[in-house]
Amino acid sequence: MSFWEFVNDRWSRLLVESLLHVSAVVQCTVVAVVIGVGIGVAVYRSPLGSAAAIALTSAVLTIPSFALLGLLIPVLGLGAKPTVVALVLYGLLPIVRNTIVGLAGVDGAVRDAARGIGMSRFGVLTRVELRLAWPAILTGTRIATQMLMGIAAIAAYVRGPGLGVEIFAGLTRAGSANATNQAIAGTVGIVVLALLLDGVFAVIGRYTTSRGIRGE
Amino acid sequence: MTAAVAQRQRADRLRLLVQPIAVVVLVGGVLAWAFGQDLDSIERQSLNASSLVSATWDHLVISFVVTALVLVVAVPLGVVLTRRWARRAAPVFLGIATIGQASPAVGILVLFFLVSGLEGLWAAVLPIAFYTLLPVLRNTMVGLQGVDPALVDAGRGIGMSAGTVLRRIELPLAVPLILAGLRTALVHAVGVATLAVFVNGGGLGLLIDTGYKLARVPVLITGAVLAVGLALLVDWLGAVVETYLGPKGLR
Repeated sequence: MSFWEFVNDRWSRLLVESLLHVSAVVQCTVVAVVIGVGIGVAVYRSPLGSAAAIALTSAVLTIPSFALLGLLIPVLGLGAKPTVVALVLYGLLPIVRNTIVGLAGVDGAVRDAARGIGMSRFGVLTRVELRLAWPAILTGTRIATQMLMGIAAIAAYVRGPGLGVEIFAGLTRAGSANATNQAIAGTVGIVVLALLLDGVFAVIGRYTTSRGIRGE
Repeated sequence: MTAAVAQRQRADRLRLLVQPIAVVVLVGGVLAWAFGQDLDSIERQSLNASSLVSATWDHLVISFVVTALVLVVAVPLGVVLTRRWARRAAPVFLGIATIGQASPAVGILVLFFLVSGLEGLWAAVLPIAFYTLLPVLRNTMVGLQGVDPALVDAGRGIGMSAGTVLRRIELPLAVPLILAGLRTALVHAVGVATLAVFVNGGGLGLLIDTGYKLARVPVLITGAVLAVGLALLVDWLGAVVETYLGPKGLR
């Protein structure tokens, strides 16, 4: 069977797996953004806190994903749980770092001006600082999703959902007729999905960035 | 962005201090726990000094061969692609490398295995090297492009040849970025090398896989923690090299 015949034949299954892959990555990214921006907001005023948060999250990123998934099996079992925990943990670093960098990069004069016209600290944070930091946070989120697309493939090893299933199926059936087709479908599928998601991010960035800093 | 730079430096200093201690405590603790368990005969087959050392050694060999390969390919390629006569080809190579990195590591590994039919060390090393090429290539190019053209002109002006300018001005100035790229590549390589077990390449992934398939938690955890410790240790060594081996004038 040629690759295109294979794709035609398995189209509905590949489509479901692609959707599961993207939905796992997107959902975990959303959770990572909520937690990551929360951490960033909590520590950005303290130099030591920022350093500790960045150091800790970048240390997490050095951990091999296969090892982390392995460590999660005895604790969380197989399937969705270890996948979600691993994806959220890996997604944190770029988001936390970019949140801190973005918030720390806000001009002090702008902050003072906002306070001067009577905004509360919370108002300054939500209406001035976070909006100015948003492009940086969004970039971090974009990097996180690209990374998670690849890590989600390994999650198929612990019975996680997505296109990684095809890759591992191809591996276990090495030598049989469709093994290579399955591995190609899984790998190329993930690359295509990653590119599509990246395009979606470009659009989101355009419509959610404040007009004043869009640079048009 | 000076605040951001200061913050990064603080974070780096913090890791330089804490990371090796964390690795020793983590690995020591887990090894003590694993060997303190009442191990059955299957567990003893994986959890003994010689097989742990050989798995770690295999892992290190894969990682360092990958890094050497990346160094030999990416740095010269980066140099060539920043020369004036080859600049047009740069986007093509960067594009290929970007796609390489955007693709799932396990997919590339499995595909290469299925297509080439290779097994063992080289079946792991070649795809991992392809996968980790980008950071070094990009950092080499960015580092060389970031050299002040006035310095290059000055070099040419005092009679240096293009090659001498490259060797004595451009490359030394780009070294910090090249080293940063290499550190990223090495850490990537240690991480992806855990997947080498899928193509019979051995390494610490073997312990994880064995522990998982035979449902032996101590084996699984020992393999995973050794891999984590090794990654953190290699990253720390990279940070030390970056801090103390860069050109003195740029520190």
